[in-house]
Amino acid sequence: MSTTNTTTTAASARSSAATSSKVRTFVVTVAIVGTLVYCVCLFFNLPAFTYHPAVNRIELWWGPARSGEGPAMYWYGWTATTLIVSPIVGFLATLLPENVGKKIPLILVWLLPIIAIPYLIWDLRQWWFHP
Amino acid sequence: MDIISVPTWWTIWMLFHLIVSVGLLGALTHQAVAVMMPVRKMAGSAGFVTRFRAVPAPGYAFAVCVMWVITFILGAYIYTKYRTYIRIPIEQAGYWKTQGFFDFKEHVASIGLVLLPAYWFFWKNAQDPEYDTARKVLTVSLCIACWFLFIVGHVLNNTRGFV
Repeated sequence: MSTTNTTTTAASARSSAATSSKVRTFVVTVAIVGTLVYCVCLFFNLPAFTYHPAVNRIELWWGPARSGEGPAMYWYGWTATTLIVSPIVGFLATLLPENVGKKIPLILVWLLPIIAIPYLIWDLRQWWFHP
Repeated sequence: MDIISVPTWWTIWMLFHLIVSVGLLGALTHQAVAVMMPVRKMAGSAGFVTRFRAVPAPGYAFAVCVMWVITFILGAYIYTKYRTYIRIPIEQAGYWKTQGFFDFKEHVASIGLVLLPAYWFFWKNAQDPEYDTARKVLTVSLCIACWFLFIVGHVLNNTRGFV
């Protein structure tokens, strides 16, 4: 009996989480801000850290590749910046009044990633036009 | 004494990455087809295409999120070796566009990652018509992204996959 009650309570908690307006605001904000932050990180080269795989060394923020230490990797850092910033902004968005949160346009969730594609292609132009 | 060699170790992880990505690709493709061409009513015996799109699409959402994250983590892990042992020879061979496509792949994978919470939420609320358009476009976009990631990874592997 108590197992049934616990299961029912857990199921209803999951169900209410899936429909709550705060969850909606959070996930929509994470999608929108995450896409923007990733592109900004790329444009201004803002990794949370730099990884040097040949010497297995992590350096906070951006660091250059050093002679004798192999290449530097920034993708982990860009992704980390995005994964840190977007949930924080998403959480802050949940503190807004419910009617404000509901006004965040859903269209941006899918439109921004599509708009980001030409930018990403342009950002990689060094490879497309390499002599 | 090493139980397995270093190349075998990385090959095993790459194969795990491949296997999970195949599952992800299948789930997303089923879901995208189901969302684009939903089966309203099954009349008579259904053909292959009808059966392909007649899957319970909402049930795939959580699995897709989990598989995307696992594939992402595995890809991020093997990327460390790719950067030193694969990319450098690819650059030395002058395969610039191949390298460009790999960098594009990493950007697409990261952006896909931040879209997953919204994707999950839209599918959890599949009965709410407010989310219909966003759910459809996001699912199809993630499916196209997944196919792109898979094909680029496959081509990269053909170029110089095994160290």
